[in-house]
Amino acid sequence: MSFTRMMEGNEAAAWSAKLSRAEVIPAYPITPQTELISSLASMIADGKMKAEYIKVEGEHTAMAAAIGASVTGARVFTASSSQGILFMEEPFWMPPGMRLPIGMCIVNRSIAPLGTLRPDHMDSMLQRDTGWIQLYCEDSQEVLDTIIMGYRIGEDKRVYLPVATCYDGYFVSATATPTNVPDQSEVDDFLPPYKHEWYSLLPEDFRMHGRETNMAKARYEVQQAQETAKAVIEEVEKDWKKRFGRYYDGMIEEYQCKDADAVLMTMGSMTGTARDVVDEMRANGKKIGLIKLRCFRPFPREELRRIAKKYKAIGVADRNTSFGSAGGGIVATDLARALYDIDERPVIADFHVGLGGTDVTMNQIEYMAKQTLRAAKAGKFKKAVDWVEFHDLGPVM
Amino acid sequence: MILDAVGSNTVVYGDGPCAMCAIRNIKLPNFSIHFSFAADGATGIVAGLRAKGREDITVVSSAGDGSIGDISLGKVSAAAERNENMIQICVDNEAYMNTGIQKSGLTPFGAWTTTTPRGKEAMKKDIPMIIAAHKPPYVATASVAYPNDLKAKLRKAKEIKGFKYIHTVIPCPTGWRFDPAKAIEVTKLGVDTWVWPLYEIEANILKVNSRSEQKPVREYLDAQGRFRGMSPEQIDFLQGETDTRRKNLLDANGKRLFL
Repeated sequence: MSFTRMMEGNEAAAWSAKLSRAEVIPAYPITPQTELISSLASMIADGKMKAEYIKVEGEHTAMAAAIGASVTGARVFTASSSQGILFMEEPFWMPPGMRLPIGMCIVNRSIAPLGTLRPDHMDSMLQRDTGWIQLYCEDSQEVLDTIIMGYRIGEDKRVYLPVATCYDGYFVSATATPTNVPDQSEVDDFLPPYKHEWYSLLPEDFRMHGRETNMAKARYEVQQAQETAKAVIEEVEKDWKKRFGRYYDGMIEEYQCKDADAVLMTMGSMTGTARDVVDEMRANGKKIGLIKLRCFRPFPREELRRIAKKYKAIGVADRNTSFGSAGGGIVATDLARALYDIDERPVIADFHVGLGGTDVTMNQIEYMAKQTLRAAKAGKFKKAVDWVEFHDLGPVM
Repeated sequence: MILDAVGSNTVVYGDGPCAMCAIRNIKLPNFSIHFSFAADGATGIVAGLRAKGREDITVVSSAGDGSIGDISLGKVSAAAERNENMIQICVDNEAYMNTGIQKSGLTPFGAWTTTTPRGKEAMKKDIPMIIAAHKPPYVATASVAYPNDLKAKLRKAKEIKGFKYIHTVIPCPTGWRFDPAKAIEVTKLGVDTWVWPLYEIEANILKVNSRSEQKPVREYLDAQGRFRGMSPEQIDFLQGETDTRRKNLLDANGKRLFL
């Protein structure tokens, strides 16, 4: 039976893995992902969920065992954060190249040195070139819905790619928000059992894909799958909306964007705060809007090019950085490339916020919004890359 | 030979160049990753087969000495601890041969490699005993020079549930520096000198399979170019170590280990 209650992001993710009928779960604990896998361990131990839980000795093995199980024909779920994602880096490249639709959660947490347990997006963004689909969520409900949708997207034979559902540690993982848990039979109707047409390790039915020896061709196929995924993501989200009534506007969401001169672009948990600030500024007659980037890989290039001409300025709130790069923030750099060769393109600024998991405050968002509105008028930003935390904008935790 | 012993209802998982090339063209379902992936992909396969209700299928995981002795030792240790239902084979040719003869943790004392140009100073890691200390249901050493012994051990392992570890030495004439025609002769000397004794540990009870007679270690060393740089003192030292191990194994024969 469907029910709704307050639920933390990690618990919602565990429910989602259960509803998705994940069959094999190799996992290793790391803060802030821990409650997710301990919830799953309890569900399995109590007989509420039927799955093989493998208590592996490290994240490298977690992903390697995930690959082995996926090739065998089992639906696989795992999760990690921060240093754990980095330790997983070597096997992380294989599911996209092998076209294995493994599902995982990246519970975002910043990376050492100066290690903190709090979130920024460096851990997942460092995997941006691997070929994984990456979807970023704002609250528990979105986490629950996205994991299930992720399997439908990744297991679609037009795609066959692994999917990472990313959400901020603490701000989403440990914050309770109202969450509807749909009925199992309705989820079963939405998500059929996993069957990979290219793989089987059963002796009576041995099939093995992935011996393409031309590297360029193998890489190109992954790129094509990423491109194809864009339409599949829209399709799957629309089907989800039809069945469950919740919709996330596909790869990007435009919020309060009608007649806006300038927009902020956010990802993950800061989006909720940004909605409030935008509402307030709108009430005061400011023509500011918000774009939530929900899907980072594949990057929604075409859709952004289509809407970008409406705006004079886009301020990107990057919770990450790429040291020594041309642009600074990873999202702003991708966005700039996507929009470079359209005729009427907005000016783009890159705001660095919330690195190391500091709060992205309402004051900071208001500052970014005002700078973006100013740039819409002036036709340029004062600073191409602006480290917002260094401005005196009130207390930052 | 290995696959002949375990039968056709088998999935083979391999890692590391030598181990991987060995299984790539077999007719059984098989799947390989790199040598930093010993036992882990097989762990996923075991879980996947269990989830599919196919526990009748034997899972064989194969890895080289560089994998099990060095980069993946923790993986094999963890699989032994979890008692994963698989046969883990170590294909031990005593160095990173595929990259061109570099020292591994299982390269023997005194052996030349391109990274130990004056001979290895440390001893070979005793991996079978390290695995045995995890108390899995079955551990055995083997040598391709004694194929019937190896096959019998594989057949036995196939019937046991849980983690089975079989460590077999396989010569690499290029890396060991001898005429390939003498492969079996040289490998046999390794066993007959007790440099590589054959034994099995079933339910923690040791059974020595090597004959108790012992040839001088020198005969084994002299048959290969890789030991040419060893001093007489080093050879005496190795003889002493080998004798001690032989005595310890024979004393413990039939007894329970690791009390």
